[in-house]
Amino acid sequence: MPASQSRAEASSRHASETGHDASIVHATVSGRVRIHVPSLYRNRQVALSIEQALIGQPAVKSVSSNVYTGNVLVRFGADLNPERVLDLVGGLRMDAAALRPGCAAVSRERARTGGPRLRPAADRPRAAWHTLGHEVVLLHLETTGEGLSSDEARQRLQRYGSNELRAAVQRPLSDIVVSQFTSLPVVLLIGSSVLSIVTGGLADAAVIVGVIAINAAIGASTEAAAERNIQTLTRFSAPPVVTARDGVNTLVDVAALVPGDVIRVRRGDYVPADARLIQAADLSVAESALTGESAPVSKAANVLVDHLAPLGDRVNMLYRGTVVTGGSGIAVVVATGVSTELGRIQDMVTEAAQPETPLQRQLQTLGHQMVMVVGVVFGGMVLIGWLRGYRLIDIVRTAISLAVAAIPEGLPTVSTMTLATGVRRLRERGLLVRRLDAVETLGAVQVICLDKTGTITANRMVAQAAYVDGRRFRFDTGRVSDDAGGDTVAGNSLMWLLRVGALCSDATVVANTGARRVDGTPTETALVHLALDLGLDVAWLRSSFPKLSHLERSEHRMYMTTMHATPEGRWLLATKGRPDQVLSRCGAAVSDGGLRELGPAERSDIETENESMAGRGLRVLGFAFAEVDAAAPDEHTPLVWAGLVGIADPIRPGIRSLIGAFHGAGIQTVMITGDQSATACAVARAIGLSRVPRLEVLDSTGLAGIPDELLSALACRVDVFSRVSPSNKLQIVRGLQRAGLIVAMTGDGINDGPALRASNVGIAMGRGGSELAREVADIVLLEDDVAALLEAISDGRTTADDIRKSVHFIISTNLSEILLTLGATALGFGVPLNATQLLWINLLTDVFPELALSVDPAESDMLQRPPRPAGTMLVGRTDYPRLAVDAAVMTGAAMTSYVYGLRRYGPAGGAGTMAFLTLTGAQLLHAFSSRSETHSVLEWGRPSNPWIGLSVAGGFGVQAVAAVVPWLRRLLGTVRVGAGDVALAWGLAGVSFALGETLKILTHDHGSRPRALPAPQTPPPAVADPTVERRET
Amino acid sequence: MKRDFIFSSESVTEGHPDKLCDRISDALVGQYLRRDPLARVTAECAVSTGILFVAVRLASDAVVDVPFVARDVIRDIGYERDGSQTFNARDCTVMTTLSEFDRSPLEAVDEMAMTHADIDRVVARDQVTVFGFACTHTPTLMPLPVWLAHKLARRLAAVRREHLPELLPDGKTQVSVEFRDRRPARIHGLTVVTTQRDVRAGDADRLRARVREFVIEGAFADEEIRPDARTRIAINPEGVFAGGGPAAHSGLTGRKTAVDTYGEYARHSGAALSGKDPSRIDRVGAYAARHAARNVVAAGLATECEVQLTYAIGLSAPVSVQVETFGTSPIDEGEVERRVRAACDFRPAAIVRRFGLRRLPPARPDGFYVTLAAYGHVGRIDIELPWEQTDLVDVLGSR
Repeated sequence: MPASQSRAEASSRHASETGHDASIVHATVSGRVRIHVPSLYRNRQVALSIEQALIGQPAVKSVSSNVYTGNVLVRFGADLNPERVLDLVGGLRMDAAALRPGCAAVSRERARTGGPRLRPAADRPRAAWHTLGHEVVLLHLETTGEGLSSDEARQRLQRYGSNELRAAVQRPLSDIVVSQFTSLPVVLLIGSSVLSIVTGGLADAAVIVGVIAINAAIGASTEAAAERNIQTLTRFSAPPVVTARDGVNTLVDVAALVPGDVIRVRRGDYVPADARLIQAADLSVAESALTGESAPVSKAANVLVDHLAPLGDRVNMLYRGTVVTGGSGIAVVVATGVSTELGRIQDMVTEAAQPETPLQRQLQTLGHQMVMVVGVVFGGMVLIGWLRGYRLIDIVRTAISLAVAAIPEGLPTVSTMTLATGVRRLRERGLLVRRLDAVETLGAVQVICLDKTGTITANRMVAQAAYVDGRRFRFDTGRVSDDAGGDTVAGNSLMWLLRVGALCSDATVVANTGARRVDGTPTETALVHLALDLGLDVAWLRSSFPKLSHLERSEHRMYMTTMHATPEGRWLLATKGRPDQVLSRCGAAVSDGGLRELGPAERSDIETENESMAGRGLRVLGFAFAEVDAAAPDEHTPLVWAGLVGIADPIRPGIRSLIGAFHGAGIQTVMITGDQSATACAVARAIGLSRVPRLEVLDSTGLAGIPDELLSALACRVDVFSRVSPSNKLQIVRGLQRAGLIVAMTGDGINDGPALRASNVGIAMGRGGSELAREVADIVLLEDDVAALLEAISDGRTTADDIRKSVHFIISTNLSEILLTLGATALGFGVPLNATQLLWINLLTDVFPELALSVDPAESDMLQRPPRPAGTMLVGRTDYPRLAVDAAVMTGAAMTSYVYGLRRYGPAGGAGTMAFLTLTGAQLLHAFSSRSETHSVLEWGRPSNPWIGLSVAGGFGVQAVAAVVPWLRRLLGTVRVGAGDVALAWGLAGVSFALGETLKILTHDHGSRPRALPAPQTPPPAVADPTVERRET
Repeated sequence: MKRDFIFSSESVTEGHPDKLCDRISDALVGQYLRRDPLARVTAECAVSTGILFVAVRLASDAVVDVPFVARDVIRDIGYERDGSQTFNARDCTVMTTLSEFDRSPLEAVDEMAMTHADIDRVVARDQVTVFGFACTHTPTLMPLPVWLAHKLARRLAAVRREHLPELLPDGKTQVSVEFRDRRPARIHGLTVVTTQRDVRAGDADRLRARVREFVIEGAFADEEIRPDARTRIAINPEGVFAGGGPAAHSGLTGRKTAVDTYGEYARHSGAALSGKDPSRIDRVGAYAARHAARNVVAAGLATECEVQLTYAIGLSAPVSVQVETFGTSPIDEGEVERRVRAACDFRPAAIVRRFGLRRLPPARPDGFYVTLAAYGHVGRIDIELPWEQTDLVDVLGSR
């Protein structure tokens, strides 16, 4: 590699001589200057060196650099000016050593591609350590195989910073609290309290502020509780690492590792930093957290890897966050802390913006609609008042009370309460919800992206099938069945296979009371488990045939052999490895009761079976053995073929029916995996991923080359994405979102982090999942039980429905208040309701029915209908006529009552009281109607909601109290009316309710609907499909 | 009938996007048949810039890693990662659509184990007219223009690997042959178009010289008719451009049917040959027709012969068997046709059985069908094809 070596040197030297090419962005605020430094962009090393150099200057107060914008913000004292700071930054010589790890390759790469196009960070190659021999790497890092001296390590620690990732993405309490005040309805509420203060209604303002506070408290406490729960999930702290310092191997804290350190890792260790291998002995590493590939990767020190190879193929590198599953190795640290690949994925997570939730969007739109309505009503009121010749101050006061009537003061409380209830319900089912909105978003999900490893499969290896002596066996939790399907006993020939598997293995059985545990690589563990499951006494076998020596697999010999002493004093060779290579060493095969010759036909059968097993997504191993005389056996000792075993990551139970249920609920399922497409397809078929007898597989490592529109069009069709890299996952999620879909994504690995965050609902596995995945997810499955998602989706849909019902109730009742005030004023009857009465209605009597509606139980077909289309509004065009009719009916009743009151009591109080009573009564009764847009209250068999009755009764109770208690009467400005008149007022309310229900029955033809007692549990007949009906309206 | 004329045929190398698609399709057919000789499979491909679309319809339990096979073919052809190529085996995106045939009307049948009555029950499931042709232009009994075009294309591909690494696997050739009295007389002109990774100054002339030296001279070394002084030789007549292959233009399975057959010298069916399993009459019928025509010419019953077979859905035997000898037969044309009908069983199952089409992929390590996809499905000498055997000469020659 002399060419690339000299190139790398040349470019770092170049950088070291030129310094920074900096320019002032702006310096308008005195004592502050923002400077753009191109070389800072995406380069933490440069950021560190700039910060350290500047902070050392006497007059510099603070420095903060941003690697995403390439800007540095410097605050300085009187001794400096912006130009001087620019000179300081520009004059900084790049420290050659600081540039090296990770930086030379970046700048070179950018120079070549040149374009300003922003790509996900993980696509952009960094230092190509994997392309260099380890001697060269050591040279570059100015270290040796003996490691660094303590002094040097201390200096480097200063220069590169501690080997820590940025603190976890936690939501601080302040953030949670502030987020409670950002929705538009709350802003409107604050606006209406200001209006109240302006018009002298201090009590009104106090009430509204109280409502805001309660609302924020509920929301914040619910979200904070979820946050606490997530924080208490297991937090992993890495143990110290064996590191060569001053030529001696010592235990060094992970945080104190620096580039150039030489570390030793062995089975069970967590890799503490990105490192280039110097030596590897049978080293294998599980990288699924980083790459999504469930099988561990064999590592080797003495190979060079292509410059552009994906992480999973860089077999001479170790990456932070992965786990050593077998063997041991010595490696030199090349990147620490935020410069590691893991750190980069964290960066991507920060860069992946969280999309706005559907509810946020809908409330936003609703808010805009309300602002318009308030404006129109206010203007209309002023116009009417002016035409009628009222005094200006009276007009404005009435107009303001109308605006108060129009603002849905109860809405924020209701939506927060509904969501909080949902969060609590889901908590009981093992789902931690971090954001209230996520509940509702889950109900709107149209596509769910399932990460294969860890979500669909269990992320461990299990022996699934074997081919021995011409017979196929299947294994299922300790049971064997042959190809005929029936249970069978493990025959003698299968036992031979198991013995070889148990002997030729480094996996150890941990004798433990209770659960059995096997430690070792996933493959060997799977084989030992199989042997134990099928009744082989592994401990006895291993003690009877003690291991004498072993021959590890190498690049050219893809199998391992162990040699054992037999009780008769001979040698037993046990071999396992790549089937074709093992087979080529065999002359005979195990047959029932003896051996038989391996002819070309048998060999071809074995090869075909090997291919077929591999085609089914299994990892296939061949097994062979030989018993020889004590003379040392060699490479050519003929072996006896024992058979093939296929191993795979098993599919979690219940996934198939879950996928079916998702499809039933109209949710598209997509599987995303880093695995090869054969494995992915086998799993996709097994779980019935595709709704049609057709499977679309997109196999790519380079989605970055596909235009956005094409990717988005493809993503909507594809069932399986195979061989994808972490940044691809993000692209897939974005592609789906660009197509207008609401996307949920499940994942457990670090590599899923960015996609989890970018999706509309990110769902992380709580148990097996990585910390990062949990920290960016909206929902965490505590028990890793994906099936719980289904209930959560049903819950989310119910929540969305209920919020809709509440909103419709609020809108129609508020509209009736507006119509009444406007109408009466226009007809010259004066103003029936004052601002306090309107607030009283909106904040007290109506809130109970709203809350009751918000916990309305789910319709039984919640999971048999498709998700509501994206962009559906809480109040849409089709809803206007119905809402207007409902409001008009209530207004009519209240107006009648008001006119009667005018006749009887005159305009001084009594008439207003009558209108107040009738309107509240009509609104309370309207709660019953609001449970369904189409079904009348007379229909039986729908899920009942006792809260509605209670809340309406409570509402009437409150009204009765208000009518009786004198100080309340004073507050509300009502007068005492006779019992007969109260009965009349409420009677009119009843008439309004009956009229509303009659109109509902008339507008919806219920002739074909079975009126009496349809069985609520059975799926409704096609004609009763509410979605179909809704479309007709 | 014209006696003196010029005829041109073209060929393309295996790296041409259309041929790449054909090759992937046939590699898949071979891989499925290797695992399950009774598999029903249709594999169609389309390629555009960085994306390869593969649609596989299947009635079999065999499992094939489709993207893996496709990448293998792409690598084999020579599209490997070298930094400048946007389309290569490793980085291209493979979009696979796997769908199932409705299996009920298509239960797996093994023609090898059939009785005469069984064969009768296997009917054509498609209507198609296929053609087979043979003539005495070359020892392989192929028309000379396409024979030479293939030879140049094949040579171009081989030379690229050995001598001209700057070339891309995508290339095109065309040969115009001047006929006198319906016999090839001289080479009127030939064209070779190459694609290259990049264009460096002064390359065009050097490239031209090397193509002439390695490709053209090599290809004609053992030919009777060679380019003469008047032959118009055009090498990259439109200039040398950088880029080629799927990164530059798109490709589709079955778009090179003339190249697959007789270079338009004789008629050919519009149906694609590649990507179909042996139960497809539009593929195997063409092979059977070529077999018949070749044997007619080999038996000396004509110097030019075209056999036309027309199949109708639901019938086993072809509704029409026509033999045209263009007046070159020493005996009555009707008699030739009678002998062909008597000697050849053109029923679909009989063809599969006669040629052993289901057992060829397991028997040959490369999967057999993949080798057909470039340089012609007929008239090959580099591979042993059952329909190129002259095993009916004796039957046809005798009364």
